[in-house]
Amino acid sequence: MAPAQSIDGDLFARIRDRVAIVGIGLVPFAKDIGRPISDTAIEAIELALADAGLEGEDVDGMSMFEMERTHEVTIARGLGVRNLRWWDKISYGGGASCATVMHAAAAVATGLAEVVVCHRARNRGSAASRPWAQERERVEDDKALHVPWGLIRPVDVIGMWAHRHMHEYGTRREHFGNVAIAARKHANMNPLAMMNGRPLDMETYLAGRVIGYPLTLYDCCLETDGALACVVTSIERARDLRQKPVLVHAVAQASGPNPVHLANYNNTPEMVTTAVFCAEQLWARSEIGPRDIDCAQIYDAFTPLVISGLEDYGFCKRGEGGPFTEGGRLELGGELPTLTSGGGLSEAYVHGFNLILEAVRQVRGTSTAQVEDCRNVLVTGASGVATSAMVVRGE
Amino acid sequence: MTTIVRETNLHPDYPLPAVDHPVTAPFWRACREQRLMLQRDRESGAWHWPPKPGRWKGGRLTWAEVSGHGRIHTWVVGAEPFLPAFRELLPHLMVVVQLDEGPRMVGHMVGTKPEEMRFDLPVRIAWKVLNESVTLPVWEPDRPAERVSATT
Repeated sequence: MAPAQSIDGDLFARIRDRVAIVGIGLVPFAKDIGRPISDTAIEAIELALADAGLEGEDVDGMSMFEMERTHEVTIARGLGVRNLRWWDKISYGGGASCATVMHAAAAVATGLAEVVVCHRARNRGSAASRPWAQERERVEDDKALHVPWGLIRPVDVIGMWAHRHMHEYGTRREHFGNVAIAARKHANMNPLAMMNGRPLDMETYLAGRVIGYPLTLYDCCLETDGALACVVTSIERARDLRQKPVLVHAVAQASGPNPVHLANYNNTPEMVTTAVFCAEQLWARSEIGPRDIDCAQIYDAFTPLVISGLEDYGFCKRGEGGPFTEGGRLELGGELPTLTSGGGLSEAYVHGFNLILEAVRQVRGTSTAQVEDCRNVLVTGASGVATSAMVVRGE
Repeated sequence: MTTIVRETNLHPDYPLPAVDHPVTAPFWRACREQRLMLQRDRESGAWHWPPKPGRWKGGRLTWAEVSGHGRIHTWVVGAEPFLPAFRELLPHLMVVVQLDEGPRMVGHMVGTKPEEMRFDLPVRIAWKVLNESVTLPVWEPDRPAERVSATT
């Protein structure tokens, strides 16, 4: 074990504050974007490169989500990349979000690539495009352990955890509501958010129709078409570019023990999700801790994931995530402003890539819900599936 | 008496499990015989779920029958929009059962109303025969009084 630890230490020391996110870009979100993702992806990456002051010719690396299978070479050709030297596709849907930057940072730190573009393009606004609506006769492998009983919608998979959390710790629907309302308040400050101009109060939240009890309409993220990208390079290269560099401080990926693709209920004793194991890695590689975080972008496919995320990443103890949301603590002006662009719940659901862009804006000081003197931001990927997380910071 | 539900009108899009996968085939074969079997470590006696390859750690795992009793660890009540194959079951009671032997399994309730559900509710195994190759282990409340009346 000792040699592996020292290799780990070397690599993560080479990444820590030595690799930066230097550009971000996005195609405006829509319910139906009307263009294929191979096309929107290229536009989002072009915008991120332009933001950085770079061009397609500068790119030699690419990391992306495995889930929708766009071809790297198609994107590289569209961007005018001269020679792609390193690429990577990362699995587990929203679990991959921060891992795109993690893998890019590792590639930059080890010299596999110099300028890496990371992106997510996702067309899921129309109901027929949702994977759970497309299951057909034969279910293979891990899915055969839950899908044949009808446990297939992510809302129900997460609802299992949420319901047990309510039972075990006294978490109430109002706590879930606090998450939804915080996200919606921030979305109302963000002109690009899908839910901009549509305020949400607790009464409306509590009256939301049941989707899978205990979760209701406002506990669920949006379904959105969108494409977003960021550019990762070394701090040395970053100094010559247009934007203030946003430093990649710590990165982690984790599956946890005995994992099942989606519905893993055998972690003991608290039925914890993958995020616990990811947090352990993340903070071990970080020089700062949860108390130093100024603003959190916690993956929010469903409101309970934010409550468990607050516990998993150490902002409060196990079981205290519900009460932690009280008193506007997650809202701008609160102790830990969370999902400051509106998140997956109220800005757009694009497998958490919007959370990465919002973290960059917060460090740059350009968010529409800007946290004062924001220096350190936590971003997390989907918990439940094998996941990823990162801490980014300003110089 | 163990409850057996026979599906007479299986939805054409019902997501049936692949029952011939080498790792899980013994589980599904036992289900067809209405026996709930999980892997067990020959040496430590520990129960393993989800299943692992039989050669795990030199072939220490063997399939053994469990009691078919457990408690409700958690549950959700599915409402629309739902997969068409399950629409007739709405409100659909999906459960995680903590088996008396330790592991937790995903399943669904049969013959149970949402208002009967509670945490730690004792449940017992029932079977749902979907077709000739797939029988699903499902669950119902363990109601001792009713068990008596069903046998008289």
